[in-house]
Amino acid sequence: MEDYIVRMEHISKSFPGVKALDDVPLDLKSGEVLALLGENGAGKSTLMKILAGIYTRDAGDIFIFGEKKDTWNAKIAKENGIAIIHQELNMCQHLTVAENMFLGREPGKAFLLNRGDMNKEAAKVLDNLHVDISPKALVGSLPVSKQQMVEIAKALSVNAKILIMDEPTSALSSKEIDDLFVIIRQLRAEGCGIIYISHRLEELSHIVDRVSIMRDGRFISSGSFSDYTMDSIISDMVGREIKEKFPHVDCKAGKTILEVRHLNAGRMVRDISFSVREGEIVGIAGLMGAGRTETTRAIFGIDQKESGEIFVDGREVRIRKPSDAIKNGIVLAPEDRKKDGLCTKLPVQHNISLPNLDLISDKAGKVIRRKENTMTEKAIDDFSIKVSDPGVAVQNLSGGNQQKVVVAKWLSRKSRIVIFDEPTRGIDVAAKVEIYNIMNQLKKDGIGVLFVSSEMPEVLGVSDRILVMCDGRITGELSREEATQEKVLTLATQFEKKIETKGEENGTEH
Amino acid sequence: MEQSIEKNKTGIIRRITAINGMGQVLTVTVGLIVLCLVFGIINPTFFSSRNLGNLLRQIAPFILIGIGQSYVLITGNIDLSIGSVIGMSTMLSATMMTKGVNPWLAALITLAACLVMGILNGWLVAGFSMPPFIATLGTMTIGRGIAQIANGNYNTNSIGAAAEGFRNFFYYGKVAGIYTTFWIAVIIFLIFNFYLSKTKTGRHIYAVGSNINAAKLSGVSVTAVTIKVYVISAFCAAIVGFTQCASAGMGAMDAGNSYEMYAVAASVIGGVSTLGGQGILFGTVIGAAIWAVLQNGLQFAGAPVAIRNIAIGIIVIISVLLDIIVRGRKRSN
Repeated sequence: MEDYIVRMEHISKSFPGVKALDDVPLDLKSGEVLALLGENGAGKSTLMKILAGIYTRDAGDIFIFGEKKDTWNAKIAKENGIAIIHQELNMCQHLTVAENMFLGREPGKAFLLNRGDMNKEAAKVLDNLHVDISPKALVGSLPVSKQQMVEIAKALSVNAKILIMDEPTSALSSKEIDDLFVIIRQLRAEGCGIIYISHRLEELSHIVDRVSIMRDGRFISSGSFSDYTMDSIISDMVGREIKEKFPHVDCKAGKTILEVRHLNAGRMVRDISFSVREGEIVGIAGLMGAGRTETTRAIFGIDQKESGEIFVDGREVRIRKPSDAIKNGIVLAPEDRKKDGLCTKLPVQHNISLPNLDLISDKAGKVIRRKENTMTEKAIDDFSIKVSDPGVAVQNLSGGNQQKVVVAKWLSRKSRIVIFDEPTRGIDVAAKVEIYNIMNQLKKDGIGVLFVSSEMPEVLGVSDRILVMCDGRITGELSREEATQEKVLTLATQFEKKIETKGEENGTEH
Repeated sequence: MEQSIEKNKTGIIRRITAINGMGQVLTVTVGLIVLCLVFGIINPTFFSSRNLGNLLRQIAPFILIGIGQSYVLITGNIDLSIGSVIGMSTMLSATMMTKGVNPWLAALITLAACLVMGILNGWLVAGFSMPPFIATLGTMTIGRGIAQIANGNYNTNSIGAAAEGFRNFFYYGKVAGIYTTFWIAVIIFLIFNFYLSKTKTGRHIYAVGSNINAAKLSGVSVTAVTIKVYVISAFCAAIVGFTQCASAGMGAMDAGNSYEMYAVAASVIGGVSTLGGQGILFGTVIGAAIWAVLQNGLQFAGAPVAIRNIAIGIIVIISVLLDIIVRGRKRSN
């Protein structure tokens, strides 16, 4: 009992309309990495927020270093050495890296801030992490992956004994992930306990000692990692066997639907030319910061184009704003659902109908309730969105269900081309398969699918043709048959050196 | 399994309580009833038909400016120029009437001028991404300047007998025993409530306030939406200007002073979030009523102006605080 640094027993927690946790236990020893696994909405994040004192529990006990904690809040949790690295970044964009790291505990005498000490201290922690970020850089000027490293550095700088990492690698490149794992191993050797939440199961074997699996707010199983196989983990997570990880359907490729010629838009989109045909899914692979998202944004009319032509069904179209793209049959399900995808305060129904109001309102602009209800019910049904009532605000849904709302709102209208930007980022295995099936259905219906993804197996498994981008250019095109991980990686790193130097400049010059 | 929201509520009640922000509206409605009862006990003449008639007429301008400000607040912006547009409306229309212009024509020209202010507000905020606080601070000052310059820096003389019809239409007339001012507010409320809750544009307004990026990506023209809400706000302010002109029978340069803040208060008491994306106009109507009842009731109870101001300020803060606490509790649960 003494060697458990964290012991949680019979934890329950309800949100309005949702029982998030039901009698869940969790324990953590010092010097181990515990993987907390489960689908989206399984209650992992809620459990961790209770441990970090962000949420209060409805029932259950928390023991830290064997001591029962009755009053428990974020401040006490911090004092007990618990640090949490959130899935969504919580940073002050206008402050520097060091200022963010020392927010609320700035070094200095009385009310005077000792900026020199602060920067020195921050540099030491960042050095330890082997990340090349200047403490004086503005956080807002850093790419997401670097911001994430700062968040980790911030947690490490408080000498945390119990470190909770919620999807820490989802925005990191493979080199950055390696660096992170080195740090995690180092912390483990120093006797820290680490709770690690990730959907990237293939990472686990590198660092994890023990796993604990949850499903639908309940505890399912727990044990040494070596006692599990990937299949047993997945079946515990979803409660059923998933036979095919990447369902693929063969369709005969038809005529060209979308053609992009010599598209230029800023540094990240340079001379992009490609086409998408009927009955095929075109994947865009590449490393973080290769310009894939920027390319889709330029096509969809969010960012200004400098030059280039876009053809839909052989007809040249002018797209200056998203409504032009929608009118011409192009829709985009964006990457960052909170920032670009959803109005989280609004009901599910209003989110789904928002881009489709033209289809469900009369000439005077009045929304026809009956049509809207039909559209929403169909979408909720088609995409099996778990929601008690379409009038519930989207913010009350789990991440996976929110992502389904993003997809549903764009597929509720007929279009010619659907662009998915990282549609499976941060969602669970079963929901991923649902998304793949949706893409395959579109393909069968003769709709062109353009698919941006950072997960190599996914791109290889789902796409019929793969475009590889690096540093704002398309560096190669591979058919499904010839594509291998090695080939994609070679193309994706063709300008690797250049990217790295660029990245460093970005980090330091601001 | 996760869907354990009580399903046993009957249809209509469920539908009403399901409307976003209805909780706060129901709470403040109860507050309004309690206020009325308290004032009625302190001074029974509060419930005299004469006072109730006056009260409804006093509520009307707050409903109107509240509607305008709520529209703007729901998009996540603010309109500080409301008070100045009221001043402009009063002074421009009154000046023209004293110069012999037909009152209705004067009102029409004035309305056009006020709507231009609305377009200017929306254009500055959406077209140039100017912070709405600053943009409308500028137009607020310009509007007050126009009100002052309209009659050469003097209040106007009486708008005269020719404006009798105008004065009755906006202030002194009665329909079904209730002053026309109140009816005007009711009709405008019904129109704009329909517009906000049942139309495409209404949805766009909420979407812009809730997440401007998602709205843009969904094909919403943020510029058009922003201009629309500021024009609606200017329209409501112009109407209030007419009622003030009709009431006084002249134009006063300081008419509508600090009304933009009363409009914020009415909206916020009624549950409209200053952060955008949340609130319904019915709440604003209740908020406006609370504001007017407080003014009227405290006056009846014999409270001096200073005490009235302090009491009203405290109630604004408490009502918003209650809302924050309730929402905070919901979230942490």
